[in-house]
Amino acid sequence: MANMWSGVEKAIRMIKKMPRVQITNVKDNTSKGRKSKMRRGQHGGDKCGRGNKGQGQRNNRPRLGFEGGNSPFYLRIPKEPYYKGHFLKKEYPPFSLLQLQRAIDLYRIDDSQPIDLAVLCNTKLYQMDVDLRHYGVHLTEEGFDLFQAQINIEVQWASEAAIAAVESRGGVITTRFYDPESLRALVNPVTFFKRGVPIPRCKLPPMELLDYYSDPKNRGYLSDPDLIKKERFELSQKYGYSLPEVPYNEMLLLRKDPRQVFYGLQPGWVVNLRDRVILKPKDPEIKQYYEDRLEAKSV
Amino acid sequence: MLPSVNRLLSLFVRDIGNTTRPHIPLRFSRTLSTLNQESQPAGDNVLGEEGTGRLSLPLMTEREIKHPNPYIKPRLAWLETLGQIENKKLGIINLHPDIFATFPRLDIIHNNVLWQQTYRRIDYATTKTRAEVQGSKKKPWPQKGQNKARHGHRRSPLWKGGGVAKGPRGPRSYFFMLPTGKRVMGLRATLTCKYAQDNLHIVDSLDIPQDDPEYLQELIEHRNWGLSVLFVDDDDIMPENIILATDPIGHFNVMPVYGLNVYSMLKHETLVLTLRAVEKIEERLLHFMHKPGPLNQKWQAGNVGSFRRKSWV
Repeated sequence: MANMWSGVEKAIRMIKKMPRVQITNVKDNTSKGRKSKMRRGQHGGDKCGRGNKGQGQRNNRPRLGFEGGNSPFYLRIPKEPYYKGHFLKKEYPPFSLLQLQRAIDLYRIDDSQPIDLAVLCNTKLYQMDVDLRHYGVHLTEEGFDLFQAQINIEVQWASEAAIAAVESRGGVITTRFYDPESLRALVNPVTFFKRGVPIPRCKLPPMELLDYYSDPKNRGYLSDPDLIKKERFELSQKYGYSLPEVPYNEMLLLRKDPRQVFYGLQPGWVVNLRDRVILKPKDPEIKQYYEDRLEAKSV
Repeated sequence: MLPSVNRLLSLFVRDIGNTTRPHIPLRFSRTLSTLNQESQPAGDNVLGEEGTGRLSLPLMTEREIKHPNPYIKPRLAWLETLGQIENKKLGIINLHPDIFATFPRLDIIHNNVLWQQTYRRIDYATTKTRAEVQGSKKKPWPQKGQNKARHGHRRSPLWKGGGVAKGPRGPRSYFFMLPTGKRVMGLRATLTCKYAQDNLHIVDSLDIPQDDPEYLQELIEHRNWGLSVLFVDDDDIMPENIILATDPIGHFNVMPVYGLNVYSMLKHETLVLTLRAVEKIEERLLHFMHKPGPLNQKWQAGNVGSFRRKSWV
């Protein structure tokens, strides 16, 4: 089996024996293409395959779902109540622990830095579209047994097992809400910065999500840190692991302010990528608007 | 030692001043051991012949290849020089198989050629409609009772000197962008064809000793490089002699890497790349082949200027 050449090798050997490849002797792969329905000359006025008169020729078909006078199917069956408002429901495209571990192993994600939505989207391994009512990433537990990394991750939705997997490795997980405007900035920061508008002040979750994000069981960003500590212990008891004693690590302690969108950047700042400068507001009224923190509100 | 050779050595040989031999793949060690015995390395003239400034023997030069292909061996090419008429080899270098030994997709090459011929075309053909042709808009004669055909306009397409119905309208741009993947593949396929058909030569630099066109003509005739030759360097600032020597001859041309394209490569019989050009070509093409995320950006006519300045494919 001495002459086991690959297709590439065969092609190159063939090219070697052929005349020089030139502008005049290269051509495209032949394809038949689509023939025009209208024929030529005396046949130009024929029916062009559309039959004789009527709906087929004039293209004035009845509306979609019309059954020629019968009650159409979409009206005949009863409504399904749980589909009510399906076009308004928030979606969280999933990203699994397995995918996360793989991205870290392939150096597509740096686990020595906190991981948030901007990091995930920057890998191009995770896609989401704000216009399709995607509200962020759902961390799923697929790859629970394989997960090894010690990370500080911020997601929008997480299953209990995913939380357990991250915490059993000494990592930290937070669930965090972003409003669509902030999400747009996070998904593609470069495009956002090029717009030259200030970084938005992230809104608080709507009423239906307030419970989720203030629940320490979900590691919500609005919940009490002391209760989270308790829940961490309880979850470790449930899943049967002991919380590892992690040496002091500044990265693991990093959290965003509830109003903050990017790590290291405050709302109200404008990032100028061309001149590589950050512009901060000076006007007291604007400053007050952006510095209006959550604590001040609740008082 | 000529500066070009110095530059070359600093690129590929570790520790010129040191007596340790360069790191070389095992299968070439025999060549190297003879080399070491014959030329005694010392100081700056380690690998050079005294006085000539050129290397005395073929030298294996090593090059680090990014994104190596684990299944295909790198291709080998002679490293030549334009410093003298006779073809004296400076060494052998390895070329990335994904670029110089990929599938010769002639259809993709054709797509690239067609694109290059088409995208800059502007069709200036234009005709005047009945509204634009000069003349009265009055009804020439009454509708009835003249025993003549009814007409409403003297410049209707039916009339002599009238407007043109459904004629070409105004300057029309044929601009379109071939997908980036196809452009990258076209360059790879063309480089592969050039290499496979022995029409690719790699030189240390474009330095030639004189600016006489006859020198270059003699060199190309002696080496059987054919009628037309394209010299490619990494930058657009090139040695003066090669510019002066190629300028009066229409079929010898020089080009920087950022201008390298499928059409020009096919137009010329022989392609001569400098080592730095090879480095840059490989770097750019591998960048696009291994880039995460979508390959295509949105191309518009207005973006082309910035595209040319910023990146080369």
